[in-house]
Amino acid sequence: MNSAEELKYLLPNSVVSVGVQTNKPQAVIRKEDFLKVAEKVKELGYDNLSVITGVDRVDRIEVIYNLFSYKKKQNLALKVVLDHRSPEVDSVTSIWKVADWLERETYDLVGVKFNGHPDLKRILLPEGWIGHPLRKDYDMNTEQFVTIGEDGEDIVSPDGSNLLRRK
Amino acid sequence: METETLLLNMGPVHPSTHGVLRFKLRMDGEIIRDCQIVVGYLHRGTEKFGEMKTYLQFIPYTDRLDYIAAMPNNYAYVKAVEELAGIEVPQRAEYIRVLVMELNRVINHLVFMGSLLLDLGASTMIMYGFRERENALQLYESLCGARMTFNYIRPGGVREDLPDGFIPKLNEFIKDMEKRIVDYEELVNGNEIFLMRMKNIGVINAEEAINYGMTGPSMRGSGVDHDIRKLEPYSIYQDLDFKACMRREGDSYARYLVRVDEIRESLHILKQIVDKLPKGNTINQRYGFAPNTGAPSAVTSYFPRIFTPAEGEVYSRIEAPKGELGFFVASDGTTKPYRVKIRSPSFCNLVALPKMVLGLKIPDLIAAFGTIDIVLGDVDR
Repeated sequence: MNSAEELKYLLPNSVVSVGVQTNKPQAVIRKEDFLKVAEKVKELGYDNLSVITGVDRVDRIEVIYNLFSYKKKQNLALKVVLDHRSPEVDSVTSIWKVADWLERETYDLVGVKFNGHPDLKRILLPEGWIGHPLRKDYDMNTEQFVTIGEDGEDIVSPDGSNLLRRK
Repeated sequence: METETLLLNMGPVHPSTHGVLRFKLRMDGEIIRDCQIVVGYLHRGTEKFGEMKTYLQFIPYTDRLDYIAAMPNNYAYVKAVEELAGIEVPQRAEYIRVLVMELNRVINHLVFMGSLLLDLGASTMIMYGFRERENALQLYESLCGARMTFNYIRPGGVREDLPDGFIPKLNEFIKDMEKRIVDYEELVNGNEIFLMRMKNIGVINAEEAINYGMTGPSMRGSGVDHDIRKLEPYSIYQDLDFKACMRREGDSYARYLVRVDEIRESLHILKQIVDKLPKGNTINQRYGFAPNTGAPSAVTSYFPRIFTPAEGEVYSRIEAPKGELGFFVASDGTTKPYRVKIRSPSFCNLVALPKMVLGLKIPDLIAAFGTIDIVLGDVDR
């Protein structure tokens, strides 16, 4: 029994299906139960959250969590499938602290909202940026201009009105 | 006594931030009460480029992530593609890959030592570190024509075989480094000012380090010896004799010592590779050819430009010099990846910094920050 099947056995109602992510066991989780499952997974010894990946599948958004247990030396991937119009899932910052930045990055670039995150704001792009670049429908042709205001905060505009232009 | 706190801005352009990184510090006198890190000034949208370029075209972009040690970036991406498509790699290519990666680990830790000491106000070490690094960069230059952005590793092998005279020069480098590392330790490790700046500064225990997502030497300074080369041996690491370096204290000095030890271990690995290096092809013959003509201008091996792996997702990770470097690659069966996600060690290691520096002074922030060893190209991607 691999780690995903073990999770299915322990939480049969929350785990939708089990499969593989190439060579790692993967469990697809009901998004409503995600926080509960994450707590259970931490209890099972998965102490290292490697990465959170958001993937825009056009009709849905998938968020994939790659976990590793240093004690058991086992891999586990969790996947939640979210609605494309309003992708929302519970934050796991209370369980793995590293999720703080990983979730902010996923919010910034893919536009997934993490409920319960203490400070969910953009991290790589400036506050006020229009759109989420890793969405497949992101508008690549509109330029956006960024300057730093007097208080050090970023100012974004799509027409360059915030730039100092030579007259 | 309650005093008014002062909001202090440090960066984005500051000599000790190793690039463009901004700290927002709330200071109570000289004591740091709160530290917020602002990143993203070097964001180039590498992951979006991944979706727009073919599998082969994306390799040079990975060089620009952690530009101090670019070879592991190349390899981590290529390894993900290989796992996705099930490509086998000839043994000689695997040895060459580990050779160039371990050499890069030495370079990375030399730059780490140099820049850390420079941040602390000692300028000798960076001259020494860069002098030795130059020798290694010349080795790379003779190998692939580039000094920092290599674009050398290909799915199924490596781009070119080792040039003539590479191994003797490498032997010279190893012999030289083994002597130099003793000098460095004498120069730095016992220095009283250095010890006072490093010991008991930025302490983090093992459990917290793991929970905050720290990996690599920064985590191994906290008393755990988790090393992906040992946990999930990839390439030829299971055939090599080395140990995962570890220190118990969890402070800045421990993280520094781990890296010094790792230079030694890497040199030890390099020596084994020189002894064991097998003959044979440097790229999988199904995908390219590698006639070793010896002429420098000859095309030695290539990978097909149009390459379509089957549909699937993969997350593959390696032990880069700075920690766990992973690539998530999703394929939809076309010539371009559907999604490329980069799990960079520098980004995740930074999460723990605010916790480490609470209650310390600004010079201690610089010391602790220096020992986490980040590169902003890797943080912002």
